[in-house]
Amino acid sequence: MATMRPSAIRTVPWRLLGQIAVVIFCLLFLTIPFVEMVKAMIADPQLLARQLLIGVTNGAYIALIALGYTLVYGIVELINFAHGDLYMLGAFFSLSLIGAFSLTTETPWSIRAPILIVVLIATMGFTAGLNMLVDRWAYRRLRGVGSRMASLISAIGISFVFQNLGLLWGYLRFPFMNGVMGSNAVAPKSFPALLPSVNLFAGTGVRFGAKDLIVVGVSVVLLIGLYLFVSKTRLGKAMRATAQDRDAAALMGIDVNRTISLAFVLGGALAGASGMLVGLYNGTAVFDMGFTAGLRSFTAAVLGGIGNIVGAMLGGLLIGIISALSDQYISTKWTNAVVFGILVIILVFRPTGLLGDDTVQKA
Amino acid sequence: MNTRIRSSLIGGLFGFAIALISGGFAGILAGLVAGLINGFSVPQAEPLNNRAGAVRQGLVASLIASVLTILGIVIRSVLIDPVIGTPLNITSLLISIIGALILGIPVCVIMCVIRTEPPARERIGLAIVIGIVLVTYPWLDQFLNLRFMNEVIPVLVFILMALGLNIVVGYAGLLDLGYAAFFAIGAYAAGMVSSPHFGISWSFWLAIWVAAAVAALFGLILGSPTLPLRGDYLAIVTLGFGEIVPIAIKNLDKVTINIWNYPLLVDFDFTGGTKGINPINRPWLPVIGEFSPSTPIPWYFLILGIMLISIFFISRLRNSRLGRAWTALREDELAAGAMGINTVNVKLLAFAIGATVSGLAGAFYGSYISAIFPESFRFDVSVMLLCMVILGGLGNMSGVILGGIIIQFADRLFLPQFSTVVQKLIVASGNESLREVNFASDFRLLLFGLTLVLMMILRPQGLVPSGRAARVMPPVKVEVPHD
Repeated sequence: MATMRPSAIRTVPWRLLGQIAVVIFCLLFLTIPFVEMVKAMIADPQLLARQLLIGVTNGAYIALIALGYTLVYGIVELINFAHGDLYMLGAFFSLSLIGAFSLTTETPWSIRAPILIVVLIATMGFTAGLNMLVDRWAYRRLRGVGSRMASLISAIGISFVFQNLGLLWGYLRFPFMNGVMGSNAVAPKSFPALLPSVNLFAGTGVRFGAKDLIVVGVSVVLLIGLYLFVSKTRLGKAMRATAQDRDAAALMGIDVNRTISLAFVLGGALAGASGMLVGLYNGTAVFDMGFTAGLRSFTAAVLGGIGNIVGAMLGGLLIGIISALSDQYISTKWTNAVVFGILVIILVFRPTGLLGDDTVQKA
Repeated sequence: MNTRIRSSLIGGLFGFAIALISGGFAGILAGLVAGLINGFSVPQAEPLNNRAGAVRQGLVASLIASVLTILGIVIRSVLIDPVIGTPLNITSLLISIIGALILGIPVCVIMCVIRTEPPARERIGLAIVIGIVLVTYPWLDQFLNLRFMNEVIPVLVFILMALGLNIVVGYAGLLDLGYAAFFAIGAYAAGMVSSPHFGISWSFWLAIWVAAAVAALFGLILGSPTLPLRGDYLAIVTLGFGEIVPIAIKNLDKVTINIWNYPLLVDFDFTGGTKGINPINRPWLPVIGEFSPSTPIPWYFLILGIMLISIFFISRLRNSRLGRAWTALREDELAAGAMGINTVNVKLLAFAIGATVSGLAGAFYGSYISAIFPESFRFDVSVMLLCMVILGGLGNMSGVILGGIIIQFADRLFLPQFSTVVQKLIVASGNESLREVNFASDFRLLLFGLTLVLMMILRPQGLVPSGRAARVMPPVKVEVPHD
């Protein structure tokens, strides 16, 4: 698709207007809090280090979800709104499996570790399959025929359906699940503390537990695996070709629909893994947690440059750190607003993100 | 003949569902609804001006619809009511059936006759029928002891908002996912100037204009950074604003601003935080006195009036130069710019006018429930409004109203009633495992989600497609790309 330069025709500098509005807003409201924040950071470096490490852990799982957005957007230019809720379903599925295997904090490590790995793989399979089915039933028939707005609205619909599935999941009381869903369907579900919480930096005043290391480690392994898959294998090459030009890829004998399905499968698998890791790390999962996580991850994907895999990882890390700092130095209540604010600022100033190229916003 | 039977089946199914779920004298209302829907969906009769044919047609159609409705009434009274603890009452059953027939059949016949008139007279006739139904509804409700009024008023508020959203999404083609924010801004603006919160206690009639103006201003402010964005990026940014506004409202209850150690504000309670603003003044009129929460009729006519005025202005705008500019913008922004349309102004006006309508709705709603809380303006409200607009038909006002009625009644009347009935049936059947499922709150999201997805797949142009919107939501050729 040839990129037109609409600004050549328009007489009014739109982007400039928007940018001026944002700059005025920032100067008015954000200068003083920002100065205060920097002062507080310098005053207590130990606290800063602790928050940065929390940010790295959060960033790892945000990056996993962000990759799902970026893979799908890179190929079909659809903001897969339901992706955050897929992550939530991943957490619920893994919790049900943990209940089914009756894993508790008492289970010895020799049994616990392999089962956790099995649960992780099963969860990834579950969310991957679900994402693929959704693509097939809800998005595929809108591709090419409807406008992009139709696909986006459909994705919002799927997001609500998923959220409701999560809500109804809370009612499941199968005997084999050993009561992991608790007695109240709507309330947050609690995960058993299966990951070791030993502090690796004990005595330094900085906290980075073994479970942080596990979350970061698993995420990094998956991220590297995905990167290698996309950049080295034949299927990965097909994905990149389809993202670049769908018609030309089809002419070269690439099965476009299957390649798009593959993007959904990969994204879904990563979302599932992320759901399980966050569930184990935070110890809770609730049916509406996908909304916030999804928006943070989408912000991360846009920040890194949507469609760019390394960008999504970088963006995830940055958003994780920013939200951890905002939790500490501004207030937990405002963190979501901060993240949305960042999203707005990026989209207004540099819609291509940090690492993206200029072809992103094909309208 | 085929379409005629279909329309009577649609009407009958609505009647069936209402009668089955609501019980009591709602069966009579069901007859009326069945007749109305039947009349609406009946195709324009050929040839025109064949009254006798129309009456015959109407009789047949209304009989089919009535049979379904009566079936609903009978199942409800004979099979369900005894199980859930209301004994079978033959007299009230007979009253319901006869009432449904008396209301349903004439309405349907009249509608069918009107539909055979030439277009100009048909429109006037339909307007008169709708007007009569709207004006007499409160008394019908009282007479039948239905107590639906407290639900009907919020339904109208949300339909008003859907009409506003339709300006932004349907006319100008800007997908706005944070529209509920303007509702909140309107409600809070009105609440702040007419409540004890700041000690400013203006009349409702003044506050509602303040709300509209503040909402319009915020429409401009929030619209301006999104000007360079299109399509899904625009949607996400508006979604972000839609989330930031409730967060800000919730947390601006202890504002402290220090400018270089000079305290400008200390713990200033700006929005009331999670407690919200409470109580908000109610409107006052000479004859009626202060509107009271226990008599819904003045509220009903107030919101109806606001709605009719808004509909009038929106439809005038729609056919104005600005309305055509919106259409041009939606169809092709580049071409619209090249034709000399000032796209910035046109976009901003769409945001501002849409926000104004929402502000009016917010001011009314705040005054009606006499309190506002930040939690009532979240993303699901925006999505519900979007559902209403899309279900009815983007860019078509009567479609949006129809979509609004369907979604809102399903959400506020049908699901809760359905939930109560199912709950009682479950309790009666002795099965404890499903007892805690609350269908009203637990299936709302599913309802919205499925509506959006199915509409996009099956009928993206909506139930009542707009002629001009054809290019935005082209009818889908159901042709799944094969593997």
